[in-house]
Amino acid sequence: MTILLLLIPISLLLIGIAAAMFIWAVNNDQFEDLDRHGFDILEDRSGDDDS
Amino acid sequence: MTRSTISVSDMHCAGCAGRIESALEGIAGIEATYVNPARRLVHVEHTADIDPVGLLQPIEDAGFHPSLSRIESGSARQRDLLKRLGIAGLAMMQVMMFAIALHAGAFDGMEPAYRRLLQLASLLFCIPVVAYSALPFFSSALTSVRSALRTRSSALSMDVPIALAIAAAFSVSLANTLSGSGEVYYDSVVMFAFLLLTARYIDDRLKVRFEDANWTLAALPEHAPVVHPDGSLHDLRLGEIGQGSRVWVEQGRQIPLDGVVTSGEATLDESTLTGESVWVRRVPGEPVFAGTMNRGAGFELRVTSTVADSRIAAIAELASRAQADKPPAARLADQIAARFVPAILLLAALTWLAWQFADPSQAFVAALTVLVVSCPCALALATPAAITAAMTRLRQCGIVLTRSDTLEQLCGIDAAIVDKTGTLTIHDPVLSDVTWLADTGHSRTELQLVAAALERHASHPLARAFQRAYPQADTSQVDDVEVIPGAGVTGRYRGRNVRIGHAGFCGARDDDERAVYLAVDGVPAARFSITDPLRGDAAAAVAGLQSAGIDITMVSGDAPERCAALADTLGIRYAARQAPESKLALVRELQQQGHRVLVLGDGINDVPVLAAADVSAAVLESSDLVKSNADVLLLSRRLGSLLDLLAVARRTRRVVRQNLGWALAYNATAVPLAALGFMAPWVAALGMAGSSILVMSNAARLLSRNRAPLADGRGGTSPGRAIAPLSNPGLAQP
Repeated sequence: MTILLLLIPISLLLIGIAAAMFIWAVNNDQFEDLDRHGFDILEDRSGDDDS
Repeated sequence: MTRSTISVSDMHCAGCAGRIESALEGIAGIEATYVNPARRLVHVEHTADIDPVGLLQPIEDAGFHPSLSRIESGSARQRDLLKRLGIAGLAMMQVMMFAIALHAGAFDGMEPAYRRLLQLASLLFCIPVVAYSALPFFSSALTSVRSALRTRSSALSMDVPIALAIAAAFSVSLANTLSGSGEVYYDSVVMFAFLLLTARYIDDRLKVRFEDANWTLAALPEHAPVVHPDGSLHDLRLGEIGQGSRVWVEQGRQIPLDGVVTSGEATLDESTLTGESVWVRRVPGEPVFAGTMNRGAGFELRVTSTVADSRIAAIAELASRAQADKPPAARLADQIAARFVPAILLLAALTWLAWQFADPSQAFVAALTVLVVSCPCALALATPAAITAAMTRLRQCGIVLTRSDTLEQLCGIDAAIVDKTGTLTIHDPVLSDVTWLADTGHSRTELQLVAAALERHASHPLARAFQRAYPQADTSQVDDVEVIPGAGVTGRYRGRNVRIGHAGFCGARDDDERAVYLAVDGVPAARFSITDPLRGDAAAAVAGLQSAGIDITMVSGDAPERCAALADTLGIRYAARQAPESKLALVRELQQQGHRVLVLGDGINDVPVLAAADVSAAVLESSDLVKSNADVLLLSRRLGSLLDLLAVARRTRRVVRQNLGWALAYNATAVPLAALGFMAPWVAALGMAGSSILVMSNAARLLSRNRAPLADGRGGTSPGRAIAPLSNPGLAQP
């Protein structure tokens, strides 16, 4: 069971990375608008003026 | 009298709203205050000599962070909450895994060293949850305790037992981990924090969605191109654009300010105001409203109001006022919740004391479990969450409630009194028929254009019928135009005297007061019949209401002949030649027979009738929104939205009942179990926070738009909202 001494720090590290990625995503507006992009396919506009 | 709006971002509940209200009470110069916890705004009406900045201090003293910004977006708050929630979720996954190992070890035996290691690892993951994720509970609890101490009241917010439970469970676990003996409750701590944050996040999203549905003002452009007399365009800030300015609206842009089309033809998507996805056409002289979208070619408008006085601002104002005003059921729940908190603390203390005699080693666990399990969050959220969700849903269909108890009232409605003109029929008169009376030497087309040119100068509602029928009329053909108020218009056409107006004005006799005559040199030449067309979906709406068990009576000030045909087509009863007093008598009579009466009209006249009705609703065409006294405003030009409204009201009542039933049943069974020690703290955490989430999610069901209205088998169908056509828009004559 000494493997726990290695696995627990690894889990700590992985969770740390996951938390950092999550905070990065929130700060970069990844969760701002979960509804609108589904409708993008219906817009037949080729420009990229408001994306 | 001035009005200031203060945004208070850290106001959460009715308790906070009450504290802010009492903080502003008694300040000289303040006429009225109303606090809107849903939008986290405080509206203050005060005399002009008060500096609004001075109003911030008393609110700050009450423990809040106010600012004068007009609109605060929900996204910063949402983002903060989402980060706290995410961290708690990630930590929870780990702590739960360690907890499973620890629980298994408790049964099958585990070496103390590994037990210690797993406890330490759990502690490590628990620290960010307590120190970061749960921080809002601690700060809010602290504010609540401070203000309770200052005002010597026992009204504590629900965050007090939550913060106490988290702090107590964590510190006891920490002490036991360090000393190496006794139980740890890290799993309960993280689960409790995570689930409560989830409930809070859902609650916040509901409120933000309500704000979004309501506050399209925030989406208005900051600048708009103003047309100068020489034809050049200059961008000006909306606040600097005065009434009477001409503004150019490009294709695909939002209309920045309320106004009247002056040149070009507008094809508008008015769904932000009315919820209707069918595009409408507006010709010169017709009003357009800020916040709607120009889907057709560019056009020019003459500004008629400022941003603050615009129709969209008025709608937002009315709706958020209703949101601030709590229905009786929600007020009752608040009162119960406010008394609950001191009771929970007392109960937890008593449990601890009782267990001291029975089994002191169980005392802490039992007290902690009682504290966690009995928190009345679900009870307090049950009604307001459902009502916020319902009002958001309705707002998206173009229905605005101006009182919050309307939804409750609507469920009992079994009779309706409906105005004919402007409600069942469209308020815009239409030229239906022309009769030629005498030969004047001019062609018929010529005379029609002369009539239209004369009517261009009149402001009478009937004149609009001519503008619509003959848009090509040229006012320069007629000279010496004179408008005679209450009679008609006179002028000269090719040297001959022409006049248009009612029968007597043109030397004719007619019983129909809505007939318009054209006379040339004093001889009546043509008679124009004008009618109000029936609203497109009137028949379907009437049938839907009837199958929902509502008895409909049509009332009108018109003569019986004009009503009979219409009432016959629709299959309803009618009362003709009704004055406001007789309408009131009719409402009273129905009420005395035990009916609950809905009055549907224009919502502006007949104030006593509206007040006497159980619910009053108004179909708004172009009438002045702010003057409306109705409880419900149907902004879409569809009577069918009344059916949507009834369906949502019934679903809301069902959801509120389910929520309250669940919350009460949960507290009644869980508290005794916890006090007697039959429940582990983590089960309590799951139960308490889980029931908050259950209640919130149940309320969020009301937001879904794809459920058929009146789905409970009471008949009436209306298609879901269609996606606006991308090309070849279906144009509806407004």
